[in-house]
Amino acid sequence: MRPPQTIRRAALLLALAAPLLGRAGPAGADIVYVLNSGDASITVLDGATREEVRRIPVLRETHHLVLTPDRRSLVVADSGGNELLFLDPATGALQRRERISNPYHLDYSPDGKFLVIASLRRDQVDIYDAEGPTLLQRLRLPDKPSHLAFRPDSRMVYVTLQGSRSVVAISLETRQPVWQAEVGREPAGILWHRGKLIVGIMGADHFAVLDPETRQVERTIPVGRGAHTIFAAPDGRVLYATSRVDSRITALDAATLEALHRWDLPGGPDCIAFDPEGRLWVTLRWIQRVAVIDPRTAQVETIRVGRSPHGIFVQPRGGG
Amino acid sequence: MLQDLYATATGWIFEQAIQPVLYALGLMDWADDAYQWLDFALFGLVTIGVVYAVCRPLELWRPVERWDDGAPVRTDVVYTLLTRLGLLPMLAFVLFASLQARWEGWIADSGFVPPTLETLLPWLREHPFWALLLYIVVLDFGEYWRHRLQHRFRWWWALHSIHHAQRQMTFWTDDRNHVLDEVLAALWFGGLALLIGVPPGQFPVVVLVLRLAESLSHANVRLSFGRLGERLLVSPRFHRLHHGELSAGEQGRNYATLLPLWDWLFGTADFRREVYPRTGDPEAPEALVRGGWWRQQVAGLRRMAAAIAGR
Repeated sequence: MRPPQTIRRAALLLALAAPLLGRAGPAGADIVYVLNSGDASITVLDGATREEVRRIPVLRETHHLVLTPDRRSLVVADSGGNELLFLDPATGALQRRERISNPYHLDYSPDGKFLVIASLRRDQVDIYDAEGPTLLQRLRLPDKPSHLAFRPDSRMVYVTLQGSRSVVAISLETRQPVWQAEVGREPAGILWHRGKLIVGIMGADHFAVLDPETRQVERTIPVGRGAHTIFAAPDGRVLYATSRVDSRITALDAATLEALHRWDLPGGPDCIAFDPEGRLWVTLRWIQRVAVIDPRTAQVETIRVGRSPHGIFVQPRGGG
Repeated sequence: MLQDLYATATGWIFEQAIQPVLYALGLMDWADDAYQWLDFALFGLVTIGVVYAVCRPLELWRPVERWDDGAPVRTDVVYTLLTRLGLLPMLAFVLFASLQARWEGWIADSGFVPPTLETLLPWLREHPFWALLLYIVVLDFGEYWRHRLQHRFRWWWALHSIHHAQRQMTFWTDDRNHVLDEVLAALWFGGLALLIGVPPGQFPVVVLVLRLAESLSHANVRLSFGRLGERLLVSPRFHRLHHGELSAGEQGRNYATLLPLWDWLFGTADFRREVYPRTGDPEAPEALVRGGWWRQQVAGLRRMAAAIAGR
């Protein structure tokens, strides 16, 4: 039986003895950052040896992370702790903290001007200037703003509203909602893909393809119950979609959106990051592990991390 | 190894039993919360086992009282199972989560970002264990004052007297509370927890630490922690005096849950180490004393309504 969190936190205290400054892993290896949303920490893994090299403590509950446009900082959102942590992606060293209201999912606009942050629990979407970050606009939205995606021209950001069965489009020029379209029960992950929005319908077994021009769902992509998030491979030829209830990853042809392959992967796959060799690093929310999948060989291995791992990021060796 | 086993077991339970139900009910956006509360329920089960293993031998060893009829104690067991397996706390948590979103949304609109103890005392960032201890002290202080108010207001005492009506007090008695009283307690405790930044994820742990101490303090055992210990931690002797027949209502002493310090500071402490009074509330109706769970709940509500109506 797992010890109570009091004891786990005491164990974390020992981990804290390691100073925040210092290198995260040996030179020449990829560094993998895993956000353990259930035990207030970040696991730092050596991508080559698969060993945990550090545990970085955070205040409360981290879910998502993003690289700054200049790639000099890895921004980790601690929603429960109301702060952003800026880490040096090459070393894991803390650069600074920013007090931010309940940051959940976040991303920079493609032109690098804005940082948009969704707050799932507070029903708000904040638009910050990317430099500060300084709050430019706070939008009070319907139930549970979850994940977000940008138009490549940075004119619009699209946010899934988990409690409202819909996607809202927000203009970054007027900083106001422009339209809202129903897509299905509990939409979660969202991806801009060749002029369309692909949305994970977590309360169903498919992704919805939403045309932002007509605001209609033009087709659905069956992947399994609990369709959640979707990520494009670095070469742009394959999309990888996760289903949390059927616990599976489905590889989709980026051109046709037809399924190419699937991995049944116990543990509730969630976020995905790619290493330079094209392997997928996937957080498994319910079994305290990340999976490493090599799509060329279909080999899967898993590595133990912290409780309820969510966001994940691979810093390539040499900075990428 | 143990951690791996636990992760595998909880993952299996969640994926096979809980998540499919959430999916079927259209409640997948509660998956994270349900996963956290699986920990709570399992830990609750462990807590019951640990409390039983510690308290039952003590009660057999040096009982203050012996009884022939075990029915009133069995009612307390029902209370414990309902509470510690997380059914009632989960309801309160769900209520909190949505209230929290609204409340914090309003605060965020003002431009204010709610603090945590760690932002007020930055050194705590590097010492999460001490941070947790400090949170427990602050929350225990809040519990002391909630308990004082339970005895102070007639309508609240009408509910709380279910807890005091037990004449056969054992370690099971800790959870013998009216549902409405539990909701009020959860609002009080949770409100304070949110105010000082304790996140929902840590909330169950703090509750469990307090409850372990509470169970022991209700045990039917002739046990004092000694001159110094009695002033550091609430003992069965210390709390039994609170449950004494002459301590009911506003006559109460020894209100503390975990730390007797609060009674000491606010003049409500009684440190007589040889006193083990009979427990119960002489004014409590028979329904509160010997009724089953449901009968006690109904009687408690009626008494509260009467108190509010001034009857």
